Amino acid sequence: MNDLDAYRAAARDWLRSQLPAFGREAQAGLSELDHLALGKRYQRAKFDAGYAGINWDPEFGGQGLSPLHKVIFEQEEMACGMPSGYYGVSLGISVPVVMKFAQDRAWAKERVLAALKGDEIWCQLFSEPSGGSDLAGARTKAEPDGNGWKLNGQKLWTTYAQFSDYGVILARNDPTVPKHKGLTFFWLDMHAPGVTVRPIKLAAGDNHVNEVFFDDVKLTDGQRLSPVGGGFGTAMATLMIERYSASDPAGFGPALDLFIDLARNSEVNGRPAIEDGRIRSAIARTYAMRSGLEAITTRAMRMMAAGMEPGPEGSLNKLVSVRSRQKLSELAIDLMGNVGLAWDVHASGKDDWVASWLAAPTGRIAGGADEMLLNTIAERILGLPQDHRPDKGVPFNQIPA
Amino acid sequence: MSIVYDEAQQAIASESRRILDARMESARLLALLERTGEFDRVFWSTAVEQGWTALAFPEEHGGLGLGLVELGIVAQATGAATAGAPFQTSNYGAGHILLASGQADLVGQWLPRLASGEATAAVAFAEGNAPLPPRPGCAFAGGRLAGAKPGVASALAADIAVVWCLHEGRPALALAELAGVSRRAVDSFDNGRLYADLGFDGTQARLLVAGEAASELARDALARMAVVTAHEQLGGAEALMFIARDYANTRRAFGQPIGAFQSVKHRIAELYTLVEIARANCIHAASREGRPDFLSAAAAARLSATEAYDTAARDTVQIHGGIGVTWEGGLHLHMRRARSLAIEQGNALFWEDLLVDELAGAAA
Ligand SMILES: Cc1cc2nc3c(=O)[nH]c(=O)nc-3n(C[C@H](O)[C@H](O)[C@H](O)COP(=O)(O)OP(=O)(O)OC[C@H]3O[C@@H](n4cnc5c(N)ncnc54)[C@H](O)[C@@H]3O)c2cc1C
Repeated sequence: MNDLDAYRAAARDWLRSQLPAFGREAQAGLSELDHLALGKRYQRAKFDAGYAGINWDPEFGGQGLSPLHKVIFEQEEMACGMPSGYYGVSLGISVPVVMKFAQDRAWAKERVLAALKGDEIWCQLFSEPSGGSDLAGARTKAEPDGNGWKLNGQKLWTTYAQFSDYGVILARNDPTVPKHKGLTFFWLDMHAPGVTVRPIKLAAGDNHVNEVFFDDVKLTDGQRLSPVGGGFGTAMATLMIERYSASDPAGFGPALDLFIDLARNSEVNGRPAIEDGRIRSAIARTYAMRSGLEAITTRAMRMMAAGMEPGPEGSLNKLVSVRSRQKLSELAIDLMGNVGLAWDVHASGKDDWVASWLAAPTGRIAGGADEMLLNTIAERILGLPQDHRPDKGVPFNQIPA
Repeated sequence: MSIVYDEAQQAIASESRRILDARMESARLLALLERTGEFDRVFWSTAVEQGWTALAFPEEHGGLGLGLVELGIVAQATGAATAGAPFQTSNYGAGHILLASGQADLVGQWLPRLASGEATAAVAFAEGNAPLPPRPGCAFAGGRLAGAKPGVASALAADIAVVWCLHEGRPALALAELAGVSRRAVDSFDNGRLYADLGFDGTQARLLVAGEAASELARDALARMAVVTAHEQLGGAEALMFIARDYANTRRAFGQPIGAFQSVKHRIAELYTLVEIARANCIHAASREGRPDFLSAAAAARLSATEAYDTAARDTVQIHGGIGVTWEGGLHLHMRRARSLAIEQGNALFWEDLLVDELAGAAA
């Protein structure tokens, strides 16, 4: 057994030992706040066991291992259904930015440690009512105010803002220059005066996204994470810091085995569903797609282990897997027929087809809509031309609204 | 072969749409999603007041003597507004079966009340995922029904149910009053459809038809209900297409309306192709009631309408980005209805098989 296999085996053993305290059964029926508390305890347990900040600098409380170790742990963790979701944005996007760019290094160390222990949660304040795909079109204003800044405006869709202590935010410091050039990146205390958070209920009944309002929120210049006007570049760069993370070929929906079980236990017009050509084709094609995605991941991990940079094909997981999960979930509901009309609001999208189908559209929008992912593939990977963009090079305040 | 709506039919279309536009509120519909046992009473009283409940029944039984074409037109308006009570379809199906069974006393007892909307009926054919199982598990003997029917639309509130059952080893249709029958509410993703698991336990019932005649009648009734549902799906798909069009014209990103991006524009144009094929099939099927090719026409309508509505739901939500997945935004009313209607009257797998059997049978 090589190092990485041993690491995986140890991670698996540890996760198994934590299942009674944190697994799906321990989570069943908990209120929102109790579930959050459980998630916090789980993050603390990870920290204590050396599974937090796996690839981060030991100086900041990390383990100093490779991104590969982190991905291995995440793969094993995902299979266990642990309550790690509260830290996805915090440790996956926001805190790495603070670790890399915060001006006050001692303060940054404190924050990173508190975040790794699960005591503090960070959110990412990028999208706004006027746009999510067009990130550089952000309108929230940061105006100079004494030695610091004053923040006014609104963000939207902020995951777990209601539980967050801090956030990273992109705001417009200069509307008179083209949109990419007038943005600055800051961190922000979510408990500061003038910050208002309102949860938004989503179509599947959950409330994990929020609208966040800023009314004359004061920032010191020390809260700046980018050069003035250089926020867009920093924001793009930060999205690359944790670019390696475990992906789920099932698109965060049920495993294919569950579909096969369903087909084994149902009939289509008097014949076993598992013998029905349409069902067999769906199973075979889903398998081929998912095994391809898995192989892409494995190959990328091999390349990382060999010190090479994995190819861009790793970026297609979410695009391909989530839209496929959406249709497979519909087919599963068809297979269940009248029985599939029932829905348990608390069921998990990982093992319930109705829950998976209802939440699938959010997966095709959050973290970059399908169309934007396709644009990225077309333009960045394949070198195809961009669509006509009338806002290109135009001062932000002269773009027709 | 098809028909063109005449003036009277066009008037029904514009009037039903106008009234539902004025009376349906998404806040009321959203609240219904979170409660079992409730349906939209505003819709149902509108249906009664407008005579929609009487539309497709004969005049001598309190109906208006119109047919599937007109009922389909109203169902289209219903679908566009995600309005409706499941009885719109099941009352028609049950009434049609009662009439076809020729049992004058039952027709006299129930038809006028179904036509006036005073009484409501469920049609309990399906078991599990089989819309019309060849050997139903529900049994009728000695004037009594025994067995279970899961997830029956309308059943939480209906007065009577037409039940697909087995009688002396052969399929049959029986009529039961639901007053004393066990009905377990199904907590569903589309609760306004009043789904219940029905448990018959020696329930008194009347045999309506048995044997081959029952099979034929049940298939015909299912096809008729499928055509009504297909119109409802069509109305929903078309409404979504326009919602998507309007949003793509107004929402801006990168300095222009998102409809200027071909991936968005083409997605909506594709919806148009699905909607128009569904519409043509729906109108055609409605005009073929009682004809030998009615089953195939109904299957074609059902399949194209299911595809149109499911696709329109997926794509319209996608085009809206984050706004598409909020509770208040309400697009999920359509998304949920697209799926519940895809299951009611039998899933696409059922209709594909039925259609191919019809076509291959005709070829043989
Ligand atoms: C559950 C959830 C969690 C989220 N969490 C966060 C978070 O924590 N922080 C945060 O900042 N944001 C978050 N978001 C926001 C998310 O990033 C945006 O919703 C997403 O980027 C889309 O933006 P939008 O909703 O404004 O849609 P729009 O950008 O308005 O897009 C509308 C439609 O137009 C299409 N479109 C836009 N531009 C183009 C183009 N150039 N070419 C082709 N098609 C185009 C889109 O693909 C989409 O279909 C979250 C969203 C969801 C649903």
